[in-house]
Amino acid sequence: MPFPNLRRFSGRYIAPRWRWYVAGTLAVLLTNWMAVRIPVELALGLDALRASEVPTVSTAAWHIFALGAAIIVVRTASRLWFFTPARLAEFDLREDLFATLLALQPDFYAKYRTGDLLSRATTDITFARAFAGFATLQGANIIAALATAIGQMTAFSPKLTLLTLVPVTLGFLFVRKGSESLMGLQRDTQRQGGLYADQLLGALQGIATIQAFSVEEPFAERLGERAERLRKNNIALAQLRALVFPLFTVSGGIAIFLLLGFGGEMVLAGELTAGQLAAFLSLIAYLIMPLRLMGFLLPVFQRAEASLERIHALVDAPVRRPERDQPLAAQAAAPAAPPMPALGTPRVGTAVAFAPFQGTVWRSRRRRRLRQTLRGTAREGASVRLASSDFRTFGPICVRSAGAGPRAPSVHIAGLSFTYDAKPTLLDVSLDVPAGSSLGVFGRSGAGKSTLLRVLSRLENPPRGTVFVDGVDITALDLDRWRERMVLVPQAAWLFSETIAENVALGLPASVLPEAVRDAALDPDLASLPDGIQTVVGERGIVLSGGQRQRVALARGLAYGARGTDRLLLFDDVLSAVDHHTEQLLIHTLLGRGASRPTCILVTHRMSALQHCDRVVVLDAGRIVQSGTHTELLAAPGVYKEAWDTQQGSGEVA
Amino acid sequence: MTSRWALLVQDVKPDLPRFTFALVSIPLISALGAAQPVLLKRVLDEHLVARQAEGLWTAAGLYLAAVLGSFVIEGLYTVALAVAAESSIYRLRQRLVKHTLGLSQRFFEGQPTGQVLTRATSDVDALSEALSQGSISILLDISNIAAVLIAMAWLNSGMTLALLCLAPPLVAMIEFFRRRMRVLFAEVRDALAALNSFTAERLSGIEVLQLYRQEERTQARFRALDAAHRDANVKNNFYDAALYALIDGISSMCVALMLFWGARQVGLADGAVTVGLVVAFVDYIDRVFRPLREFSGKVTFLQRAGASLEKIGWLLGVEDRITAGSRELPPHSPGRLVLRDVRFAYRPGNDILKGVSFSVEPGEVIAVVGRTGSGKSTLVRLLARVHDGYRGSIEVDGVELRDISPASIRRAIGSVRQEVQLFSDTLRFNLTLGEALDPERLREAVELTNAQVIADRHPDGLDQELRERGANVSAGEGQILALARAMARDPAIVILDEATASVDPLSERLLQEGIERVFARKTCLVIAHRLSTITHADRIVVLEAGEVIEIGTHAELLAKGGAYAALYAEGFENTIRVASK
Repeated sequence: MPFPNLRRFSGRYIAPRWRWYVAGTLAVLLTNWMAVRIPVELALGLDALRASEVPTVSTAAWHIFALGAAIIVVRTASRLWFFTPARLAEFDLREDLFATLLALQPDFYAKYRTGDLLSRATTDITFARAFAGFATLQGANIIAALATAIGQMTAFSPKLTLLTLVPVTLGFLFVRKGSESLMGLQRDTQRQGGLYADQLLGALQGIATIQAFSVEEPFAERLGERAERLRKNNIALAQLRALVFPLFTVSGGIAIFLLLGFGGEMVLAGELTAGQLAAFLSLIAYLIMPLRLMGFLLPVFQRAEASLERIHALVDAPVRRPERDQPLAAQAAAPAAPPMPALGTPRVGTAVAFAPFQGTVWRSRRRRRLRQTLRGTAREGASVRLASSDFRTFGPICVRSAGAGPRAPSVHIAGLSFTYDAKPTLLDVSLDVPAGSSLGVFGRSGAGKSTLLRVLSRLENPPRGTVFVDGVDITALDLDRWRERMVLVPQAAWLFSETIAENVALGLPASVLPEAVRDAALDPDLASLPDGIQTVVGERGIVLSGGQRQRVALARGLAYGARGTDRLLLFDDVLSAVDHHTEQLLIHTLLGRGASRPTCILVTHRMSALQHCDRVVVLDAGRIVQSGTHTELLAAPGVYKEAWDTQQGSGEVA
Repeated sequence: MTSRWALLVQDVKPDLPRFTFALVSIPLISALGAAQPVLLKRVLDEHLVARQAEGLWTAAGLYLAAVLGSFVIEGLYTVALAVAAESSIYRLRQRLVKHTLGLSQRFFEGQPTGQVLTRATSDVDALSEALSQGSISILLDISNIAAVLIAMAWLNSGMTLALLCLAPPLVAMIEFFRRRMRVLFAEVRDALAALNSFTAERLSGIEVLQLYRQEERTQARFRALDAAHRDANVKNNFYDAALYALIDGISSMCVALMLFWGARQVGLADGAVTVGLVVAFVDYIDRVFRPLREFSGKVTFLQRAGASLEKIGWLLGVEDRITAGSRELPPHSPGRLVLRDVRFAYRPGNDILKGVSFSVEPGEVIAVVGRTGSGKSTLVRLLARVHDGYRGSIEVDGVELRDISPASIRRAIGSVRQEVQLFSDTLRFNLTLGEALDPERLREAVELTNAQVIADRHPDGLDQELRERGANVSAGEGQILALARAMARDPAIVILDEATASVDPLSERLLQEGIERVFARKTCLVIAHRLSTITHADRIVVLEAGEVIEIGTHAELLAKGGAYAALYAEGFENTIRVASK
């Protein structure tokens, strides 16, 4: 069946509002019936006028007057009863689409440009609405108008009806073709306009460079070429417009010409009254309007179908949440059984704390009983005295030594290879980050550092059985709960066009601000801004410098990181935004919290920061090429030492 | 109003013949249109009612001829107008772009880029709409209505007068709707703009939203904006539907009125209402109503264009242009730079540079160091001529910087900024910036600065397209490209503002190599952030709070134990300790 997307949309968003549409259709039928009655009354009135029968003329006039008044009310209602449900459907569709977009993960966003998504969420939705409102109304209207008008014309004279319909139909076919090319040309013109704006924006953003090199002329010329294309397109558009619709009027003129000739002969022969011929003329005029719109209708259907296909492609895109795909039990059966966390296997009788029981297989009755006992006591962080040494059978439960409250997560990576953009970016990476420890990651750009952090934040999903948090496969963790426990400050700071306070707090109470602002060394920046922390940062933070944007993003990460002590903090090259002094303070704040310190992974080029990390790994082309403490790494030849020497100015300092 | 439109005169002038043709054809179009109902009436009254078979087809043919004539002349009018309007707009666009590209940095720093962009895109589009669909076509509408009224009065003045009585309330009603709808339309437009910009921003920042679990909060805010948009539209729909239906209904009521009038005239010798007359009047009424319905839309076009024109006029009126001197430097200028008591303030009374004096000898490399806010970047901006209006003197080979012609300046000084601006075009374009540079010199510069290494990383080499203004180029690569861009013009002096953003180690080495090779060849002034760059300089200038406080070599300044030594110790304190173990 044709138009699968239109049918799907109709079933979901139009069908539930069928009452509106039924009422609207009835109103449309009534309007058209009344509108066609008017020429009939006119014919009666005109013939009576010629025969000087004043009372009949008056009756006809009153009828027409009443019909006209009624049309005002009914036509208004008919339009509203189609347009209102269309707006409601548009609202719902937009809601649903936006909710889907919010749920879709980065794998999806890697495939689509933001501009493309945006045009689907804006332009394409208006086409869907045009279908729900304009197209349904006009569809009903055209059918009703054609049926009533042609019916009435045939009642006057079948021969004349056929005769006049020939040119009008030809005109209609022509308009349909024409409006198709018109819409194609219109789309192309819009695209040209977009390209022009894009190039101009590029020039405005690069204005300092353009002026520094005095290349204003070549840039103006380049823009001129685009403007010229735009001009030609617009002229072609006007030419097509000047042809298509007026030609339809011409076809109406031909119909009237035929009507006057042949109809005139019929009147002279007494087969038709002059009043009826006049009514016929009105009916043709009445037919022209819906026919003209009909040329537009099919393109609206096609456009809406294409738009809905684009929208449905987003709605149907799989939301990648692997933890939802697998039954919990399947995870323990996964081939690569996760090893025990770094703390080692506790002995019988020691107190251990348990994380939630995710993905554990319990078979024997004894284990089941034990599980029930544990369930009863083991809330996250609670401690239980261990009664069995048969620990492995518990499967991947998180074991922690009991005592301190909620602890930071431990990270265990075993043989992780990851392919990103069809290029392998991580190759057989294995590492351990014990709870509350810090790991520095060093390497050139493209080494896979950011990818590593993206995997840990589940912006990317690693293969099953490679990354474990507190001993639980990261892909089995509930994404929302995991994201509550970790904070990633990405390399590219993203700010919303709101105040700095809102950007930092991002929904948290304002009480988090002072500490976060202080730790991120944002105070001096705030002092230099007109409204301090209430400064609106403008589109993408345009009011702020690159460093300031990064510090705001850092403050946001710190604010979220400070909410609990059980966090994993991931910093992707954010230290470059702060000076050395601030960097040192920050490192001490982060790494110096004693027992309750968060687990930290820092990606940075700054060796002054790396040397404070418990461990450092050096990534190169996706592999870990070196790992150890800062001092250990300096003792061995390799990338790390080379970089150190470069930063030291080739050893001159030593 | 008139003065506003005077702005367009120079753009419109070359197309004056076309505009004139359009204007002249207006009365012809109106006359042909108004003639059609008269011809219709003739067939009906003189042939059918009068039972005159002879000449029936000729009379009908005359009607058809009028329809065809209208089609031809109206088509010519539309095309002439479109060509004239679009060509004028093209000229305006170009004028605007050339003007804007010549405005000073001070102007751009005070203006959001988006706003300037809107002047040259949406506002110009509004003008284009007004020129092709607003201004002259309003004249056509007025002329059409006048022609119709004249024809009606000529056919039957009594009935015309009776119908005209309906005009004042009708016009008042349409005006009422128009005003109401204009307010509502603005509401709809604002709601839509808010909704769309919210959507755009949230989609661009989706990762942050997800990382910080903002989904629910964002959805709630979206719903509120979406609902506001929906409600504004539903309200707007009512007025839209009612106006449409009112005009439709009232034109039917006019037909009733004609019959009443006709009934009154029965038996009178004069002004009798005939079948043809009613048919002609029905046609005329349609011809009056159609432009009336669109009239308000066209007036809106004009009003919007007026507002846009005012904004465009404002931009064209900005006089804050970069000033260009006229003095030329000798072709092989050695590249000596002398600064004497240079002072500069962005805002009067708040000097960022407070009397900076030093000189750079030909071939010498000077590193400028200092804390954030010491005035380093401002100094670079003055030398790169990003900012004007310094006091004191900056001499390039004995000529005052502000007096040098743009062509000479380009030959004399090449600057590399910290935040490199790249364009969505090929790597090659990003180096030449659209200029016809000597290919040999370009090749040399590309080799010298290691930009070739970057080009080699891409399958298309120098013809590789950069995505979204260099999104696929790292900070280090960007600086290398900028260095090549400057060197391709073989300037005597190179001003380099090193990137503070961390440069990845691989690019770091390439960049460092490139910088060192440039140092060996050119007079250089570097705002240095890397120790290796600083140690490669011949002399170091230490800036503090807009003043030069120390000048000397690395060793001298360290030995002196002053500000430089402090800066050095502070920045590299930890690394020194570890390295000396």
